[in-house]
Amino acid sequence: MAIALDLPRAKSRSARVLRVRRGVGVALTWATLIAALIFFLGPFFWIVTTSVKGNEDYFAYPPVWLPADASLKHYAGLFTRSSGARYFTNSLVVSTLSMLAALLVSLPTAYSIARWRFGGGFLSLVLLVLRMLPAIALIIPLYIMYKQLGLTNSYLGLVIVYTVLYVPFAVWLLVGFLRDFPVEIEEAALIDGCSRLRALVSVVVPIIAPGLAVVALFSFIATWNEFLFAIVLTGIETKTMMVLVTSFTSGGTDMFYGEASASVVLGVLPAFVVAFVLQRYLVKGLALGGTKG
Amino acid sequence: MRIGALVLKRKSWEPAAFASPSLALIAIVIVFPLAYSFWLSFRNFDLAVGPDSEFVGVANYVEALVKDTRFLNSIWNTAIIIGPSLVLELLVGLGIALLLTRIGRGRPIITALLAIPAMVSPVMAAMTWRMMFGVKYGAINNLGRQLGVIDVYFDWFSSPLISIVAIVMVEVWHNTAFMTLVLLAGLQSIPQELYDAGKADGADGWRSFWYITLPLLKFTMVVGLMIRLIDLTKLFGLIFVLTFGGPGGATETVAFSTYLAGFNDFRMSYAAALSYVIVGGVLILTLVFMWIQRYREMRAA
Repeated sequence: MAIALDLPRAKSRSARVLRVRRGVGVALTWATLIAALIFFLGPFFWIVTTSVKGNEDYFAYPPVWLPADASLKHYAGLFTRSSGARYFTNSLVVSTLSMLAALLVSLPTAYSIARWRFGGGFLSLVLLVLRMLPAIALIIPLYIMYKQLGLTNSYLGLVIVYTVLYVPFAVWLLVGFLRDFPVEIEEAALIDGCSRLRALVSVVVPIIAPGLAVVALFSFIATWNEFLFAIVLTGIETKTMMVLVTSFTSGGTDMFYGEASASVVLGVLPAFVVAFVLQRYLVKGLALGGTKG
Repeated sequence: MRIGALVLKRKSWEPAAFASPSLALIAIVIVFPLAYSFWLSFRNFDLAVGPDSEFVGVANYVEALVKDTRFLNSIWNTAIIIGPSLVLELLVGLGIALLLTRIGRGRPIITALLAIPAMVSPVMAAMTWRMMFGVKYGAINNLGRQLGVIDVYFDWFSSPLISIVAIVMVEVWHNTAFMTLVLLAGLQSIPQELYDAGKADGADGWRSFWYITLPLLKFTMVVGLMIRLIDLTKLFGLIFVLTFGGPGGATETVAFSTYLAGFNDFRMSYAAALSYVIVGGVLILTLVFMWIQRYREMRAA
């Protein structure tokens, strides 16, 4: 009898121990994740607060972590004194043009591969080679060619390189989207007398628009982030944000913090947008170099 | 997916015509320059000397692999940055991925937040950290002093060893998210039934991790490491901003020293040869990696 009475009590105690242990486990999981978030996002928090500090805050001790009187005057200074406005515009123009050109060139190619299986194996090969190829191997001959053609220090020169570097990745993503597209809708348009190109533009494009947006965003951020081609091929008028940022390092480790941090904040903005909007595609994008150019 | 008769019926020129713009661009902007660069690597074209050049055979390659201690050192520097970075990115990435599988609500948002550093350009990542490492106004020295850990304004880039450590840390901050995302996808593709079956056999906690998770995750880990390895051989923007190769060339990577040869010394032919040495190196690394993988699989089987 005593045994029969004891059993349920022992059971409930072990259940309680289990529950406590699980609770500790959950707490530890969250604590570690929060520590990781602080490590990975802390620098962003610091750079944003630094960019809105007043000049006197940089010298203060104890250090000012949260400025009492935040102001945007470093951004104003960046845009007026350091020609930040011009370089920000350059980045926007080059990224937008490369994005549009990459879409325009890769969509028909992707269509050709998805519908007619045109040279699909060749595409994977190009993609693999491009992924492994160090950009430094391409920049040396391109620089010499561009010098002779007068393409250095021009939007056109940068846009051409960025478009081509991005095409294999864009084609590869687009082939996936096109294969998911119901062929019947296209057939209907063809029966109605549409030409192939017409069907692609007016029937397929509107429906795969979300897929095009994914490709466009990846291409935009890849171009925005690119540095090696930008620093070699641009001149004083066509520098991008990435090149502007490096100009602040000339002052040694203690550079002019206000405008430097403001330019970093503007430079990382697109990354925040992409990380959230393209979450589902991040693995693909990062694995194939879709964000590094 | 069904391919209708009408779609298969086509004008014979159409597939090639649709693909031609991108093929032409790839030929002109990638294939031709690479071939030109290969030809150039056997000459002595030097922009600082003049537009004329002549054939010098493999002299550039000999110089790169035998005489040029700066380049040979940069190979070593690249290696000692790559090794610790790969290990840390794998371990930290795996840890975070495992933690993420244990939380339900909030996983998408936390994953997206953790992924942000990987979307930022290397230049911006390096600039953020360069300012954090700043001697007088940087967050690290300030925080250290406030907490009483350090009592002087420390110069983090004064010694080669600490510079390398700092680079590895920034690299891990920048790219661990990639590992996390890849491994998280891998973890989520392991069917839950396996864990249930393991539990029935008395495997839980460490054992189920060791005998179920790890073996099934191995392929994903290899692919992730492979991609990171190839990317790390290209390390350039981070170095350019964080240390510019200093102190005394101790953090010059292969891509960085090739850049200096080409755009500081203007020895175009020599830089072209260096870039082909890098291409060859990456190719060999990839093959060795694949070979080791195959060998281990064969032994396991």
